[in-house]
Order: sequence, then C-alpha cells, then structure tokens
Amino acid sequence: MTHFEIFGLAPALDLDVKALEQKLRDLSLEFHPDRFAQADARTRLAALEKTTALNDAFKVLKDPVRRAFYVLKLKGIDLENDAAAAKAKMPLEFLEEVMERREQLEALKAKRDVEKARAMADGIEKERSSALEQAKAALGRDDVNEAAHQLGRVKYFTRFVEEVEALEEEALS
Amino acid sequence: MAYSEKVIEHYENPRNVGSMDKEDPNVGTGLVGAPACGDVMRLQLKISDDGMIQDAKFKTFGCGSAIASSSLVTEWVKGKSVDDAVQITNKEIAKELSLPPVKIHCSVLAEDAIKAAIKDFQEKRAKRQGAATTPAVSPSTSTQP
Repeated sequence: MTHFEIFGLAPALDLDVKALEQKLRDLSLEFHPDRFAQADARTRLAALEKTTALNDAFKVLKDPVRRAFYVLKLKGIDLENDAAAAKAKMPLEFLEEVMERREQLEALKAKRDVEKARAMADGIEKERSSALEQAKAALGRDDVNEAAHQLGRVKYFTRFVEEVEALEEEALS
Repeated sequence: MAYSEKVIEHYENPRNVGSMDKEDPNVGTGLVGAPACGDVMRLQLKISDDGMIQDAKFKTFGCGSAIASSSLVTEWVKGKSVDDAVQITNKEIAKELSLPPVKIHCSVLAEDAIKAAIKDFQEKRAKRQGAATTPAVSPSTSTQP
C-alpha cells in the first residue's frame, strides 16, 4: 500500500494538508490499539501496524518536498535511498555554485555574521521554491529525469538553509 | 547513527583540507556531489608530469562519513601513480572506515572524486599538448595580421 492509498487518496503533488490531518485523526481513532484490546493477537498487531503506517505516511505527505520525492519514488526513482539514483550526476556548474556558496557561508560562520548568512538563505529559499515548482511540473508530465534533477537541487538548497538555521540557533544560545 | 572510531578520527582531524590553484596545469580537480544528501566534495591532486601524485587536498561539505571518506583518500593517493590511484574502489574505502550500508554512497563519492580529478588532469594535459603542437602543424595562420 502506498502512503496515498493508506489515506484513500490518488497520488497527487498538491494536497490539502488540513484535510489530510483530519483524515489522520479519523483513521487513527478507527485503528486505535485501545479499540482492539480485547481482540486476538493477530488483530491487535494489524491495528498497531496500521497506526504506524498511518503516521509514517502522514509525515511524508504533509511536507510538500518529501511528498514530491515520494511521487518520484512511485515513478521509479528513489533519490533518497537508492545509491544508483543518488549518483545521478548533478551538472558540474551547479556543483561549482554549491561549493562556492558553501565556502562563502563557511567564511560568514567564521565571522559569526548571522545576518549575511540569513540573507543568503533567504535567496536560496526562493530558488528552492522555484526548483520544487519545476520538479512538480516535470512530475506532472512524467519527465522523471528533470524531476530528479530539480529535486536534487531542492536537496542542496535545503541543506544550505539547514546550515544557516543551525548557525542562527548557535548564535542564540 | 553510530559512527565508527575511524570515521570520528578523520572527522575530528581531517587530513589535507584545503585547495590548490585549479588553473595549475599539474593540478587535477574533481568535484562531485550526491543529491541524496546534498553533499559536495572537491578533491584536488597535484600530479607530476610522469604521473605521480605528489599532493592531495580536499574540501567536503557533508556528513561525517563523506568527510572521512575524502580525508582518507587524500592519504591513500599521495605517493601513488595515477594508474594505481584509479584502482581504489569504494569498497576499500567503506571497509577501512566500517561504513554502514546507508553511508556507502559517501565512499562512492570519494572514489568518483579521485577518478574525476585524474580525468581533469589528463584532459588538461591533452589540451596542453594539443595547443603546443598546433602552431607547429599550421605555422602560416598566426602570422597573418
């Protein structure tokens, strides 16, 4: 069963997260282990598995980035776990850009210049949104290679933003 | 996830971190990345004209296993010939560092970086040799105003 099927949904890139949350609550009640306390072991185990599967599915589906990676996976490319797919080459120019920006960020970190780092992260967050939109468009027309490429970019941008967030937290403490 | 002793050791004391002049004809640069984790790894090798690796530097932005893998290969390739260095496999790297299955791609990245750096050096050299012989082949073109 796919994460979408667990929620009785067709695979989709855009989801109403509020409605998804409501469905999670309804289904969680339906399969709550307490309701099966008197049942036989097999039924209890099945209910527990269902609950775990529901929660796992929700975690993936509520996040637009993870959802897009998941749709790509359903289309045959597991970018997050498959070593072969992970090796899918990012263009050299893009890697050069990533390296350059990471070095800039490293220098800002050394100077504890959180403000400039945040400004960089803001710009990169915009690029991340646009890459995600392009990935979704590519998935929509079944262009999995382009989708994988754009989601690879999303991953790099996310990593960068996370670094800045870590720096901000460090500066606060 | 628990890192092995060797990974932690390389992570805390990375060997040969830095960069070289990528325009230097004797420097080969390998830049590789894994979209699975958003890592980027640069390996630079200083290679003599007779194909011996004299020095190696790396810069990696990534997890501990990626840093350890690249740090380790800088140690391994130094003093090796280019022909021997391209034989290094990700399996050897992963074994030395006791990488868990989910981190194997870090060792793959390091192997790819060695190969990319050597390829860059060889392409540069081929271009240089091409450029050196071109004027001799067609001397007439350069004298035209």
